[in-house]
Amino acid sequence: MARWAMVIDLDKCIGCQSCTAACRAENNVPFAGPEQSELGRAAFWNEVLFEIRGEYPHVEARIIPRPCFHCENPPCVKVCPVGATYQREDGLVLQRYERCIGCRYCTVACPYGVRYFQWFEAEWPEGMDRYQNPDVPLRPKGIVDKCTFCVHRLDEGLPIPACNQACPTGARYFGDLDDPTSEVSELARGPRAMQLLEHLGTDPHCFYLEEGA
Amino acid sequence: MAKLSRRAFLTLTGAGALGAGLQSLDAKPRLLRALTPEEQVAAQEREDTWRVTICQQCQAGCGILVRVVDGRAVKIDGNPLHPISSGKICPKAQAGLQVLYDPDRIKGPMRRVGARGEGRWEQVSWEQAIDEVVGKLGELRSEGQSHSVVFLAGRVLGQMQGLLKRFCDAYGTPNYVTHNSLSASATEIAHWLTQGQRQFYGYDWENTSYLLSFGVSVVEAWRPTVRNAAAYGFMRRGRPGDRFRMVQVEPRFSITAIKADEWVPIRPGTDAALALGIAYVLITEQLYDDDFLSEHAFGFEDWTDDDGTLHMGFRTLVLRDYPPNQVEAITGVPAETIVRLAREFASSAPAVAVGDRGISMWSNGVYNQMAVDALNALVGSIDTPGGVLTDRAAPFFPWPQLAPDTVAEEGRAQARADFAGTRQYPLADEVYQQLPKSIIDDVPYPVNALFLYYTNPLFSTPQVRDVYQAFEKLPFIVSFSPFLDDSSSYADLILPDHTYLERLHDVSPPPGLGYPVVGLGQPVVAPLYDTMHTGDVLLQIAHRLGETVSQSFPWASFAEVVQYRVGGLWRSETGDITTTEYEFFWEEFSRRGVWVDASYRFGDWDRVMATPSGRFEFYSQTLRDELTRLSDGELDGLLNELRIEVRGDEVYLPHYEPAGQMGDDQEFPFFLNTYKLMAHAEGRGANLPHLQEMLGLHVHRQWESWLEINPGVARYLGIAEGDWVWVESPIGERLKVRAALYPGARPDVLCIPFELGHRAYGRWAKDRGVNPNWLIANQTTPLTGSWEPFATRVKIYKA
Repeated sequence: MARWAMVIDLDKCIGCQSCTAACRAENNVPFAGPEQSELGRAAFWNEVLFEIRGEYPHVEARIIPRPCFHCENPPCVKVCPVGATYQREDGLVLQRYERCIGCRYCTVACPYGVRYFQWFEAEWPEGMDRYQNPDVPLRPKGIVDKCTFCVHRLDEGLPIPACNQACPTGARYFGDLDDPTSEVSELARGPRAMQLLEHLGTDPHCFYLEEGA
Repeated sequence: MAKLSRRAFLTLTGAGALGAGLQSLDAKPRLLRALTPEEQVAAQEREDTWRVTICQQCQAGCGILVRVVDGRAVKIDGNPLHPISSGKICPKAQAGLQVLYDPDRIKGPMRRVGARGEGRWEQVSWEQAIDEVVGKLGELRSEGQSHSVVFLAGRVLGQMQGLLKRFCDAYGTPNYVTHNSLSASATEIAHWLTQGQRQFYGYDWENTSYLLSFGVSVVEAWRPTVRNAAAYGFMRRGRPGDRFRMVQVEPRFSITAIKADEWVPIRPGTDAALALGIAYVLITEQLYDDDFLSEHAFGFEDWTDDDGTLHMGFRTLVLRDYPPNQVEAITGVPAETIVRLAREFASSAPAVAVGDRGISMWSNGVYNQMAVDALNALVGSIDTPGGVLTDRAAPFFPWPQLAPDTVAEEGRAQARADFAGTRQYPLADEVYQQLPKSIIDDVPYPVNALFLYYTNPLFSTPQVRDVYQAFEKLPFIVSFSPFLDDSSSYADLILPDHTYLERLHDVSPPPGLGYPVVGLGQPVVAPLYDTMHTGDVLLQIAHRLGETVSQSFPWASFAEVVQYRVGGLWRSETGDITTTEYEFFWEEFSRRGVWVDASYRFGDWDRVMATPSGRFEFYSQTLRDELTRLSDGELDGLLNELRIEVRGDEVYLPHYEPAGQMGDDQEFPFFLNTYKLMAHAEGRGANLPHLQEMLGLHVHRQWESWLEINPGVARYLGIAEGDWVWVESPIGERLKVRAALYPGARPDVLCIPFELGHRAYGRWAKDRGVNPNWLIANQTTPLTGSWEPFATRVKIYKA
């Protein structure tokens, strides 16, 4: 049984957001529009985080693409009252949309903010539903969804999530952590590798490679 | 010319059943779980395939694959066979689905009803629309007014460029005007003056160890974007032990500056001084490549010409005027930094210095660019591995000889309406932003018809208010836009083109690789609406105009034009598709979506250095010859007209002179910088919700414009994050925009990005954000005809 994980090389990432765009296109994530966006309700299964620190001219910034980490120890699964969120043997943390009652307990429990509550009915204005991907279910208003590591591609024998496929700098890797010869397991054991908020014990299946030499 | 089989021909025109004729490329081997019999039947009935084409969200022309399910395009990914994209794409490409399925697209030809801009239209047939255009053009021709027709072409790609130009030549107007003068024409001109190459360069990034970028948004908006992004990733981590070093010289802390190893916050418009300060150190510390200079450079040392006159060379000028402490005073860059950068640049071979729009589109811009080019000559990184590559054009079959009639010849002999190439703008090939003035003043003559192809002058031209005024005057305006944008909504007639996913189109990317690449865009879905390829429309118009105009276009469709020209690629027997018959070539070309001739022979100096001396010219003889010819003995007068401050040999050497600015710096204390984002699809992306929703990563803003301002300055002015602020410029215009406090902003520079501020263009673009062009003066550098987007100073106050 594989144990799927992602590695993202922050030294190569240029914050282009190809991953974000590709994910949205692949997974039928609807755009929120200006009003809902202003309220912070835009859903980005993959989101590129940006933080700038310092004062002019001594400034530095971090750019961190953030999918769901499909933690080994997922807090979201622990708190779901109806068993909508569950963890698969291969490590993927997935959602049974039909069971979700939209309590958002999981959204609060996740320390990484990867979960999105569907606040509004998805808008597919006049004919835009034509570009929906038939392989991914549409989600109704009132439930929580998130990145699935493109499980629909994985289960069809294509272990490359859409974000990884799109990344122009080649900053993203995906594979089986339990395979000692896989790229991800080598990179995850490397000197630059780290996980976000390691001290929380979530053990994310997403490793970042630090910038710099 | 090879005739293609009917099947191949139908393939091209997109006729025939979906999936039956169109070339598809199953790029993804899939392991299917076992299907039930019912699922098997359903799967067979459902068409699910990937089709190959070219993205046209910018001019890079990345090869893409589009997944089509039952005739619907549902996903876009990169074409692994295309060397620019190599299977990867940027977010703009992903949003291409929203271009195709934009609910506000124009669904068929339309004619204006009521006043211009009122927004009332009536549907007409293609027959009627083309009739009207033919009638009007024919009328003007018979009245000897063919020259008063202007074709404005913006993001025109592939054979459409040649076709439009040919139409103008055969019809009889000199006014084929592209938008380069709004973009980065001064960079191309500088390359021409120093190396004889009027083009943008390619770079052998795979081998570069040091990149000194003067204001180039390398990983954000420098075409070909995906190529540069991929190269960046490779340079960082693809060569164990060599992480390359990148220094970004730029007035703002852009994403590129963030990703660079060092950011040098230079004072805007002073890049020549910095480059020459670095040159000073290279010269005094003997760090330059002596061999390269003695074999391939002209004008480094003082030289004597044929009549015995001694001329100053680059070395003398630099040593005289650009010691680091003087350069520090001009640029704000500390002298120790200048010295260190020079030493790094010289000791990290291969090292490359680059510049583009950010440094070249100023009154002193062509010299800024020449100074940066000079750095590459000094360290010998031109035409070497890891260095500057000179592009070769693809060997298209030449256009057939044109045999214009008298009307066409007389028409073409008239002055251009934009005065490009005249004493007013001596080195310019086009001056797009001159047109509103020409139209308003009826100088050199009244313009009687304006055709708009892939351009939006009511959005993209500076001092936009004047353009509206010019539009009021024009008797006949025709747009080919598939969208009701700012300009097409002011047209009289709209003959809507297909969007790029619906049409056949070749695209040769701008250099990035240094060798020719030709991509083939093909329809991936049948056209959604009653639109027509502008190439086909143009041919129909030409044929209906009859006589020599018609005879100049011996092709029934645009597809035939492309096939004809691409025949040259086959005939040349170069590149990666070689076949015995053109028919097979075309099949393979359609299957791959790209033809590549991936060979670069270093040391072809005759080709690379196309200057009078056959060398890199620190001292530009081309510039001297042009100005001498035009000045007719009165050089001083000409230089005054051209607003060039220096005199003597310095005029032909890279040097620094202060950039001309509009607005006194007491009343208007800030520079206004208008930059391009990764999500910026040349202004065309504002109608795409995906791009709008991820627009401003570094300021956490979406769906709106923002004003980037230094937090300390904002505090001083009492402006908090998100406050509405008026930005006012000396031309009496002002815009209201929300402040984004950004620590990476220089105190004296404000930034408003391009892309938003449309007044039409669909529900998501209309009346959203601000277009900084409204604020910016229509100021042009006379020598190059280039617009000066950064010359307008501004002031701000709380709203």
